[in-house]
Amino acid sequence: MRKFSLYMASICLLFGCEETIDVELKDAPPAYVVDAWINDKMETQVIQLSLTQPYFDSSEPTPITGATVTVTSEGKTFSFTESQSGSYTWDPATSTDRIETVGSRYTLTVNVDGNEFMAESELRRVPPVDSIKFTFKEERNAFQPEGYYAEFLATDPVGPGDTYWIKAIKNGIPLNNPFDLNIAYDAGFNEGGNIDGVVFIQPIQDAVTPLNEDLDEIVPYKLGDSLHVEIHSITHEAFTFLQQVQIQTQRDGGFDEIFAEPLENVSSNIMMMNENPDVQVIGFFNVSSVSGRGRKLTE
Amino acid sequence: MRKCMFLLAFLLSAITLKSQEKVTLNGYVTNVDDGEALIGATVYIEELKTGTSTNVYGFYSITLPQGEYTIQYSYITFNTLTQMMTLTTSTRNDVELTPESTELEEIVITDEALDANVQDIEMSAEKLDIKTIEKIPAFLGEVDVLKSIQLLPGVSSVGEGSSGFNVRGGGVGQNLVLLDDAPVYNSSHLFGFFSVFNPDAVKDVKLIKGAIPANYGGRLSSILDVRMKEGNSKKRVISGGVGTVFSRLAVQGPIKKDKASYFVAGRRSYIDILARPFLENGETLFFYDLTTKVNYNINDKNRLYLSGYFGRDVFRFDERQGFNWGNTTGTLRWNHLFNDRLFSNFSFIVSTFDYGFSFGENDLDKFDWNSRIVTYSLKPYFNYFINTNNELSIGGEATYYKFNPAEAVGVSDGVTQDISLNKKFALESAVYIDNTQKVNNRITLRYGLRYSAFQYLGEGTRYEFAYPNLGERKELIGSEEVSSNDVIADYGYLEPRASIRYSFGLSSVKASYTRTAQYIHLVSNTAAPTPIDLWTPSTNNIKPQVGDQYALGYFRNFGGGNAIETSVEGYYRTTDNQVEYVRGADIFINEFLEGDLISGEGRAYGIELSIKKNAGKINGWLSYTLGRSELKTAGINNDDWYPTRFDQTHNLKLFGEYKLSVKTSLSANFTYVSGTPVTAPTSRFEIQGITIPYDYYDERNNLRIPATHRLDIGVKWLPGKNRSARKVDDYFVFSIYNVYGNRNPFSIFFSQEDGRVVPGNPTETVANQFSIIGAPVPAISYNFSF
Repeated sequence: MRKFSLYMASICLLFGCEETIDVELKDAPPAYVVDAWINDKMETQVIQLSLTQPYFDSSEPTPITGATVTVTSEGKTFSFTESQSGSYTWDPATSTDRIETVGSRYTLTVNVDGNEFMAESELRRVPPVDSIKFTFKEERNAFQPEGYYAEFLATDPVGPGDTYWIKAIKNGIPLNNPFDLNIAYDAGFNEGGNIDGVVFIQPIQDAVTPLNEDLDEIVPYKLGDSLHVEIHSITHEAFTFLQQVQIQTQRDGGFDEIFAEPLENVSSNIMMMNENPDVQVIGFFNVSSVSGRGRKLTE
Repeated sequence: MRKCMFLLAFLLSAITLKSQEKVTLNGYVTNVDDGEALIGATVYIEELKTGTSTNVYGFYSITLPQGEYTIQYSYITFNTLTQMMTLTTSTRNDVELTPESTELEEIVITDEALDANVQDIEMSAEKLDIKTIEKIPAFLGEVDVLKSIQLLPGVSSVGEGSSGFNVRGGGVGQNLVLLDDAPVYNSSHLFGFFSVFNPDAVKDVKLIKGAIPANYGGRLSSILDVRMKEGNSKKRVISGGVGTVFSRLAVQGPIKKDKASYFVAGRRSYIDILARPFLENGETLFFYDLTTKVNYNINDKNRLYLSGYFGRDVFRFDERQGFNWGNTTGTLRWNHLFNDRLFSNFSFIVSTFDYGFSFGENDLDKFDWNSRIVTYSLKPYFNYFINTNNELSIGGEATYYKFNPAEAVGVSDGVTQDISLNKKFALESAVYIDNTQKVNNRITLRYGLRYSAFQYLGEGTRYEFAYPNLGERKELIGSEEVSSNDVIADYGYLEPRASIRYSFGLSSVKASYTRTAQYIHLVSNTAAPTPIDLWTPSTNNIKPQVGDQYALGYFRNFGGGNAIETSVEGYYRTTDNQVEYVRGADIFINEFLEGDLISGEGRAYGIELSIKKNAGKINGWLSYTLGRSELKTAGINNDDWYPTRFDQTHNLKLFGEYKLSVKTSLSANFTYVSGTPVTAPTSRFEIQGITIPYDYYDERNNLRIPATHRLDIGVKWLPGKNRSARKVDDYFVFSIYNVYGNRNPFSIFFSQEDGRVVPGNPTETVANQFSIIGAPVPAISYNFSF
């Protein structure tokens, strides 16, 4: 729905106005946050543990130190050790075990401050990125200036129910604005779309050409730019989670606010195994297969 | 069902024939200037101290003993017509009333029958005639029906400029909006800044907030019944206006004098035309609508009316990309008099709403999406004037729905993918009976019963869902294909309606109970409805919404000729199966939409106060509503009650007009509305570099945005020295909307600052207040008719 937001932004110029204000929010105790997205790439895998902070506190999150973090799967144990405070890592180079085998289940266990948190995930299949294409386009309107527009080509394997997170890295910098979040259910936007076993639909392919910081114009690629596209397989639960993240974080204001959905807590697949009414845990655990391809824009 | 209706009709005519000693006086009441039927005109028999009023077609019928009578025909802002008649046989008496002269003089209403607000059984209803609507200073000077009704007690909106309206704490999708009997599925132009009703074409607007008569149904909270002009049957009149946003032109006149007339009115906005030299890529934003009507008096007993509306908004961003939406309605009505006392109407109605949405650079790479709802309805209606004390309505309704949620095609590198969703079909039907009975001078009763039924029909798919985690998406556990016209889900409800009026002196007390069932739902989980919201039928997974409303009111008039009308009404409504959404609901192009919709219960209650001064140099009204509107849904807000997004505690509207001279009048309106609630987080956390808001207490709508207030003023000025010698009846309207430039907040939202997060640099998160209009908006318009 990114294009729809753009349309809305243009009307906003006609009327609306927006200002940053001070709001009194309720005080709340911190909750544990588990950020555990690991994959089958041959690189150091990281799980971050931290605490929630007041909404207007923009300092770095407080790390949770001294936790025991383990991922197990079918007899294999991956021990994540604290390399920096709150950052728990496992390096495949130090082990013969691998995160592999599509269909295998993974369990995350975190023990901290006398609490035990657990989560499950499944490694799912991913199609290769077949190619990356840059097309030069003339200026078309105020939002689509002249330049090279990128798209990636990949085909969702036949059989419904594959879910993906497509990540784009431009000139070595991940495109990580909430509006860059690009997810797919089979080759389309959602389960009900029923688009299976074909090339990803155009808006998903196109989303690797990012918006500018003000979110009011697409920034095309220039000669010499590089783009790396990765497809991460994710579970259905993770897809739903990211859909919710999109709704909750893609707030560019303006006229769009008339059509804004209510703020809601996103889901979490981290379960607390012990009873403690004073403790809340949120976050997500997902294990991905990753495919990728990069290309530099030359003449 | 129709067979039954006809049988009943014949039965009723048989009864009529038996009454020998009594005679019936009936006919149509019209405006002498243009032949327009007058809705709700009073017919009063002085000798009997009783009377009746005309129905929506301007027809009346009253049955009395033979004798000599003084009959008064009256209608607000028209001169009362008094006739002496000796009635020995049943008599047809069509009358024409003359509008009061527009001269500046104190209008003294002496007619007792004009205290309709006190004496009528009707409560919780608001009537606005187009003359009043035209007086209200409007945004950008453009007179608007939907913005005007928001100045009435019990009516609100989620914020300035948003589309739709909320009545007594009900949702936008719980209002039935009728244009000449045709349901209008989306009533907004330009995202809600204006409504689809062309004021030039509107004759009468009635909003029923409670005590809904049994002939109406299908929505929970209100009925907005908009009636179009029939067209001047005396002479051709061309009228129009040039405004800031759009221009209007209307032509009406007789096809055959006093027999047939036509009406055509069009509007078009023209920002795009003015801005064209500056637009290079085909960007455009405009809307237009055409409202038209033809009617034909075949003979004394038969009249035909054909009316239609065609409107569209187009918003293009370049030549190939953009979206558009529009309504089309058509109504064919046949009024037939079976006999002196039995009036009938048969309506056949078609109504559609559709939108299209497309982007992509060429035919090899594009995405097109269209959605549509089409309905066909048939409504027989019988109005039987039994005697002076009883007026009976009997009728039915059958509507066939065709929902086309998505016709979508994606083309990628020349490869076409059809991602359309299946159509959905449904039949909604109802039969009703309703009687208004004058028990004595003090007590009038109105009681009715409506039975409505709904079938969700094939061809379609019956989905089965499990719902293990409350508030989270349901899981699909099975589906079954159902063939054409087979019933997938079946519902029926009895909807009793009852009102009582007890009058004493200049006062009356009225009470009512209304049960309503709603079978189709507006799927919209945003602050205000968008043009791309869908209507969806009740299914085996989505239950019909059912509401029960109780209202109690005290009505009292003051001053000579009831110069000041006042009322206080309280209401309490509970609803079942109110549509809510799971977390992260995906309502677009989603085959499994039913898995994202859940139901909760609702309650709304409040007190409405209204003071109106209808006549005099200074006239106007004050409306105040104290209200609450809440929902409770398992899995949301810790299963506790939470306010709706449009919940407003205080809502104060003040409108006044001051006639400065024959040529100049001033008007002003002031609005003060409590802030609506939004949801605020307590905390934030990070997942994969994305900062996500988090509410530790998991509450909904827990933060109130500040109250909003605004003053608008207008001046109406008639040019020319000698008005009566002027060929053109014309006037200018100068207005300023939001005179003191208040930045009225529409919402508060929480977001991270623009830009991408650089690893190691913390993300700033802020609260933003969004206002739609933050400055005074002046406007001028010129209106004419000749």
